[in-house]
Amino acid sequence: MNKEGMNSYSDTVNELLARYGVRFGIYKNGTFKEQLFPLDIIPRKIGQKEVEYLEKGLKQRVMALNEFIKDIYGEKKIIRNNVIPEEFVYMGSGYLAQCEGVCPAKEIYTHISGIDLVQAKDGQWFVLEDNLRIPSGASYPMIARDICRKSSPAIFEKNAIYENRNYAKMLRKAMDHVNVGGHTVILTPGRYNAAYFEHSYLAEHTGAHLVTGNELVVENDHLYFVDYSGRKEKVGAVYRRISDEYLDPMNFNSESVIGIPHIYDIYRKGNVSLMNAPGNGVADDKGIYYFVPEMISYYLDEEPILHNAPTYLPFYEKDMKYVIENFDDLVLKDVAEAGGYGVVFGQGMTKDEKERFISMLKKEPRRFIAQEVIDFRDIDIFEDGEKVPRKADLRAFVLMAEEPMVWKSGLTRFSRNPDSFIVNSSQGGGFKDTWVLENDLSPTIL
Amino acid sequence: MLRLDYQYNMQLSFAKPVNRHHFTLRCFPADNERQKITYQDINITPSYVGGEETDSFGNHCIYGLIEGEHTDFNVNVSGKAYVYGDVFLPVEPSHRIGMFRYHTGLTDMGPSLYEIYEKLPYKDDIRNDVQKVALQWMNIIYDSIKYVQGITQINTSAEEAAALSMGVCQDYAHIFLALLRHEHIPCRYVVGMMMGEGASHAWIEVSDGEKWIALDPTNNCPVDDRYINISHGRDAKDCTINQGFFYGLPEQLQEIHVVVEESSND
Repeated sequence: MNKEGMNSYSDTVNELLARYGVRFGIYKNGTFKEQLFPLDIIPRKIGQKEVEYLEKGLKQRVMALNEFIKDIYGEKKIIRNNVIPEEFVYMGSGYLAQCEGVCPAKEIYTHISGIDLVQAKDGQWFVLEDNLRIPSGASYPMIARDICRKSSPAIFEKNAIYENRNYAKMLRKAMDHVNVGGHTVILTPGRYNAAYFEHSYLAEHTGAHLVTGNELVVENDHLYFVDYSGRKEKVGAVYRRISDEYLDPMNFNSESVIGIPHIYDIYRKGNVSLMNAPGNGVADDKGIYYFVPEMISYYLDEEPILHNAPTYLPFYEKDMKYVIENFDDLVLKDVAEAGGYGVVFGQGMTKDEKERFISMLKKEPRRFIAQEVIDFRDIDIFEDGEKVPRKADLRAFVLMAEEPMVWKSGLTRFSRNPDSFIVNSSQGGGFKDTWVLENDLSPTIL
Repeated sequence: MLRLDYQYNMQLSFAKPVNRHHFTLRCFPADNERQKITYQDINITPSYVGGEETDSFGNHCIYGLIEGEHTDFNVNVSGKAYVYGDVFLPVEPSHRIGMFRYHTGLTDMGPSLYEIYEKLPYKDDIRNDVQKVALQWMNIIYDSIKYVQGITQINTSAEEAAALSMGVCQDYAHIFLALLRHEHIPCRYVVGMMMGEGASHAWIEVSDGEKWIALDPTNNCPVDDRYINISHGRDAKDCTINQGFFYGLPEQLQEIHVVVEESSND
């Protein structure tokens, strides 16, 4: 495709995405703003061999994380065997005492996981973050693929690419697997949520009802969907896109008006499934991330296939020393923050800032992790008629039914700013479709 | 051992009617190693649909929904209990003890708590003899805080109460927990009833790893057979006696009246 062709293809596709309402909302200075989520038309391509490797590694990682959550809210063997210091569990914001002793249907906690990876210049993949609470983003490559196929069918004739619109089927399978009898619903906080487009898109494509909290009611220890005529129908599984704190004012944040009173009580009794399980945040804390390779060895007795970015925990004296000595080469992350907030690069700091940061680090060593800055492999984006290299990551999705399933696609997010490593959509980037090729990387027209 | 009759009455009145009133009640003494409930009668009005459960701390709860409009919510619990004053509750299951070593928002340390902390004796000994040292610490806490009602609220933190040097049983308990947790000693908040007439009471339990040693910092004494346990958790929030959620924004008045006395007849 020539430059003009690409220009017009890009315009067509983005116009269609806008028309379908592909946006995400952000709260800035207290006001809600919706913005378009721009698609870059050059897809990320992942070859067959590479995807086999990623698939194995992702399944292994999610299995271990699921075991970890089960263990933490159950017997706590990993703490008692001194593999993970208990303060990283109990002081983390993701640990919820209300989940102690509660085991969800089929022992599945991590129904939908979003694992963020980056590829280094030498081709090696690193996991940057595990998202086990309510990872979002799958709908964007789904609809992008759909629109791209319609806008330029020729591209897809010439390339053997795995279908990615099957995500809805995989999600339905995961929902049905844990449904305890009744309807399946997707619970959204409402249209002012950052990911409302996704909630409605996934509901439409899975055939689940899209509901808000006030359409659900707990009665006689079961959950019911109340339709427009007041008729009540039983619900067996809730794919909730509301965070734990707001899920149930009787059990979590008592000021929540978007939750459902007593839903947690009947979940505890096994009368409804909640996806993902409440309390999962205990496993995707940035401090716990450090221990995931150890979890894999501990629970599965296997060598970790995927690697973490080299990470240091200032909590350990040895690591603290390393962090102070190599401060300029490291990126520091606040364990309590997400979405690209609370991330600072040692290199960018003035002497004063460094000193202040290090004294804070010494005061609260558990609050931060430090990582080597990975030299990402750049991916081309199409900007102002030119191909220019930019940093990008990949959110891979793993869904759990009888077996973990890895989606043969993913959300590739890139940074608009050529010097930035932060790709979170809340920080102003765009996204790409992720093509998994049915054979090894072959030349394509894009 | 004492044989006690107890009555717990809660009256919640709303100035204007409310509806769709959800509640979770945690005000029901249950059998354990130190108390045996031989009889219990529970009366909740108006009528509701709901259920019963045991929460993650092991506390007995009744929850439900009152759909229609109402201006009163009454809970009456009465019963008889045998209480064994010299028995400590076991740490059961033992792997759940970890969470009780860490601060919650209500027990976070602050400058006023550090001031009390500086006065505490035998810090090096606390791991060897929790019971003995905790009794000494209780003396200091008792002397540092003046019992005054109406100054602190249910969401007053240990630090805030310590800064005022005033509070009620909940504040004494939170301050004690904060100081013990600062030394990494597992301890928990207990709600219960005490012999006499008044409101519900709160105290703490501190663990030596095997058992929970119960101490009442408000009265500066060990907990004995005059005390009936209702619930326990990391802090007062885990033990909320009546959690409510309803439609309507009227003024509300809650009155709690507890009577515990020795049984006169068999």
